[in-house]
Amino acid sequence: MSDPSDPSDPSGVTEALRTVADRDRPVPDVDDDLARARAAARRRMSRRLQAVTVAAALVAVAGVGIATSRGHAPGSGPDVASPGHRASTGASTGASAAAKTAVGTVQPVQLVDATFHATPYTFDLTPRGWVVQSQNPTAVTIAPADGSAGDDPDVFVGKLVILFDREPTSGTEVQQGGRTYWIDGDSGYTTISTRTRPGEPVGVVRVQYPDNTGWTRAAMLAFLGSVHVGPGASPGLG
Amino acid sequence: MRSAEASAEFVSFVGAHRQDLMRTAALLCAGDEQFAEDVVQTTLTKLYLAWPRVRRADSRLAYARASLTNVFIDECRRAHRRRETPTAELHDGSEALVPAHDRELRAVVLAALDALGPRQRAVVVLRHWHDLDVVETARILGCSTGTVKSQNARALATLRAALGPLDRLLVAGEAR
Repeated sequence: MSDPSDPSDPSGVTEALRTVADRDRPVPDVDDDLARARAAARRRMSRRLQAVTVAAALVAVAGVGIATSRGHAPGSGPDVASPGHRASTGASTGASAAAKTAVGTVQPVQLVDATFHATPYTFDLTPRGWVVQSQNPTAVTIAPADGSAGDDPDVFVGKLVILFDREPTSGTEVQQGGRTYWIDGDSGYTTISTRTRPGEPVGVVRVQYPDNTGWTRAAMLAFLGSVHVGPGASPGLG
Repeated sequence: MRSAEASAEFVSFVGAHRQDLMRTAALLCAGDEQFAEDVVQTTLTKLYLAWPRVRRADSRLAYARASLTNVFIDECRRAHRRRETPTAELHDGSEALVPAHDRELRAVVLAALDALGPRQRAVVVLRHWHDLDVVETARILGCSTGTVKSQNARALATLRAALGPLDRLLVAGEAR
């Protein structure tokens, strides 16, 4: 073919391919590639969260079925561990086990006026009976201290997830403490979002929590309002 | 790994290697530049989503080329590939700057590539454009080395038949 005398290209195929490969092409903006990739990452995260929500709903349904078969009154709720008295700082009082004895009764989460750090996030309020399971610049996962939600930090069923991102807010608007919150939710989970404070990284901090673990909307508004987003935070991909 | 750091690395990688990937894609797509751009965009998105794996690779570019090849084959497998069908060829003016001889040469090569099946084209590109050995080509395509050898032999036979006029064209080009 093109250059049989070339020892590195005895068949001349490479030279022939070059006529197609090498041509002047417009150079697209790299930002467009990045924007497309980030959008795909957001869609993936959204699908994962939806899958988690569906799984949580199925677990809840299964829980109700088990409770009913054990003689509980229908509608008394799944057999979930209520929050105990072990603060996320790690101090245990053993209340978690006690809470489990109150089958079908979910005690409201108690917020303690104590600061805890999940760098780069700081919380002015500490929920009793819940512990930080994982933390990174994008999100903090907080789980019941009794381990009832499992110890895999990538599984969000039955846990709080505090996320920092730049997605737009949506849902019912609520004013509290001079800040605006947006409340949304379905399938047994609620999401509350608020914009970060002046001086913090610009974005939205949001919490997703399961409805059946003792978190009232008021408690969660207070808890989310206590979150400080540090400079090391980075917006999530999803 | 922080997402900002990953994004910065991704942007740097794309800036350095997008043209390389586009050249490979153009070959795989037998000169269909729009299809090639689609394949590159899909590949880059996949790379971003798998960036922790990409950065662990011995060669990020080699990883990207392998990913690009597989994206191309996946796209070809789709029975109803959802691609926009251009109603007219886009002309960016660059073709007007190419000598007539080179355009003719390119047309012959494109027709030759188009005569190959997608996997044969992938074998030709990996073996003869990226100079990969049979084992590495087989690994990327997920087939045996024997399959690579036979695909390569058939592809070269097809190319030789189609590129018959190529020597004449090259000689004409050198003579000018």
